[in-house]
Amino acid sequence: MNLLEVTDLKAGYGQAEVLHGISLHVEQGEVVVILGANGAGKTTTLRAIAGLIGRRGTVSIGGTLLRPGVPAEAVAAGLSLVPQGRGTFTKLTVQENLLVGATKRRDKAAVAQDIDRWYEVFPALSARTKQAAGTLSGGEQQMLAVARSLMSRPSLLLCDEPSLGLAPLVVRSVFDVLREINAEDGTAMLIVEQNAELALDLASRVYLLEVGEVVTSGSAQDLRHSDTVRRSYLGY
Amino acid sequence: MQFFLDRLFDGISNGAIYAALALALVMVYRATATINFAQGEMALFTTYLAWGLTTRHVPVFVALLIAAAAGFVLGAVSERTLVRPIEKRSLLATLIVLLGLFSVLNASDGLIWGKGNQSMPSLFPNTLQSYVSVFGARLYWANVGVWLLVAAVVAMMFGLFNGTRLGLQMRATANNRESAALAGIPVGRILMLGWGISAAIGAVAGVLFTPLTPDSLGLGEMFPLLIYASAAALLGGLDSPGGAVIAGLLLGVAEVMLSAYVPAIGGQLQEAIAFVAIVAVLLLRPQGLFGTKEVERV
Repeated sequence: MNLLEVTDLKAGYGQAEVLHGISLHVEQGEVVVILGANGAGKTTTLRAIAGLIGRRGTVSIGGTLLRPGVPAEAVAAGLSLVPQGRGTFTKLTVQENLLVGATKRRDKAAVAQDIDRWYEVFPALSARTKQAAGTLSGGEQQMLAVARSLMSRPSLLLCDEPSLGLAPLVVRSVFDVLREINAEDGTAMLIVEQNAELALDLASRVYLLEVGEVVTSGSAQDLRHSDTVRRSYLGY
Repeated sequence: MQFFLDRLFDGISNGAIYAALALALVMVYRATATINFAQGEMALFTTYLAWGLTTRHVPVFVALLIAAAAGFVLGAVSERTLVRPIEKRSLLATLIVLLGLFSVLNASDGLIWGKGNQSMPSLFPNTLQSYVSVFGARLYWANVGVWLLVAAVVAMMFGLFNGTRLGLQMRATANNRESAALAGIPVGRILMLGWGISAAIGAVAGVLFTPLTPDSLGLGEMFPLLIYASAAALLGGLDSPGGAVIAGLLLGVAEVMLSAYVPAIGGQLQEAIAFVAIVAVLLLRPQGLFGTKEVERV
């Protein structure tokens, strides 16, 4: 059974429909990337799956059908979204940001252990535990956003443009961490990314989105060598 | 010295009330990013309710608790049924709905409890003899009671915000509603709770404030209080509970001192002080003394 199963997903803002029936799936422990130009509906897809905006069609995680518009239910089912722009709680401390990420958990001791783990993975954060998160640099906030989202111990992590606005070195380290987490914990990932090169490196499968529809899908290996993907997203 | 101390005690009492109501405004602002124009009228409604109970021989203290509970329900229901459906449309629509709630509550008070002014019994001994002398000035127990009760409410709120899981969820929701939802926080319930607590604090403020002046429970009682509380909330920084408390006390003392020592202000221009404070804050330091300027790092 697939971990995430999305069928005929339609969503939009107000009268404007952005997604015209998207179907996709993510298997247990798999890393899948969604490529597409600006305005193709990548972010909308993630937001609709996470339950932040209304939708039609079905979204299920591990066989549990999720109701639209109830993000808390998606979190409880094992989904976690790292939103575009990082969604930092700017006025809370770094530590509090991580604690909020663990809202749905009751196992206090294990939560404390997880916090220590992410401080080890992201040493930049451990030096700033009591600092307001709004004072962190963009890269540190991205790391905090990833760590915060992982605090719920998701089985599926959705990442919306983790590289946006970051220096190349920082981008590399964020992707390295994502790779490690996938390998160590078996956390499945659905990633939206402009940096196709990096994303294809990490992902095993790809969906190509154009104007709210899936136009191509396949293994990262195959798509890397397809002419359309190369020309449009890799630039050579 | 004695004259000064008398004024100071009065100022602190008024200031404590402003602080409590400003704290209520800040809680709503943090939840919904609006000034709740109906905050004062919610407090008046629940104060009338408490007064109505005391006329039926319910002890004042019990009446206070019932008023606070009623305030909680009033606030929570207002958020769920009036504010939430409207707030998606625009801020202006929300403000107008709250103005509507203002007049509906005020008119209901008149319908249910009549137009005449009433005297609210005090929670504390408040005869002319119940005071201690401090350097010749009279410190009434009623004043001390107000200070202590407001201090207790403020302490409870800070304990809630900074010492509990629920408080963390409330602060997270106030800071970034979408990220809060993504973390699995039931945002809707948290917003209702914020409005409920805010109106409960308002109820306590109303029941404490009204007995300080005889015959003061009337339909126009809370409006000036709302102006002062708004000024305090702005001065302290709309998103800062601590700022609201400090600014409330400052304004309370400043109001009494200015009208006592500046004959031109006297008893007539008191409310102008609040307006001057509002304009000055908005011009000179819009984020208030302790509020945060929104800074986004990219």
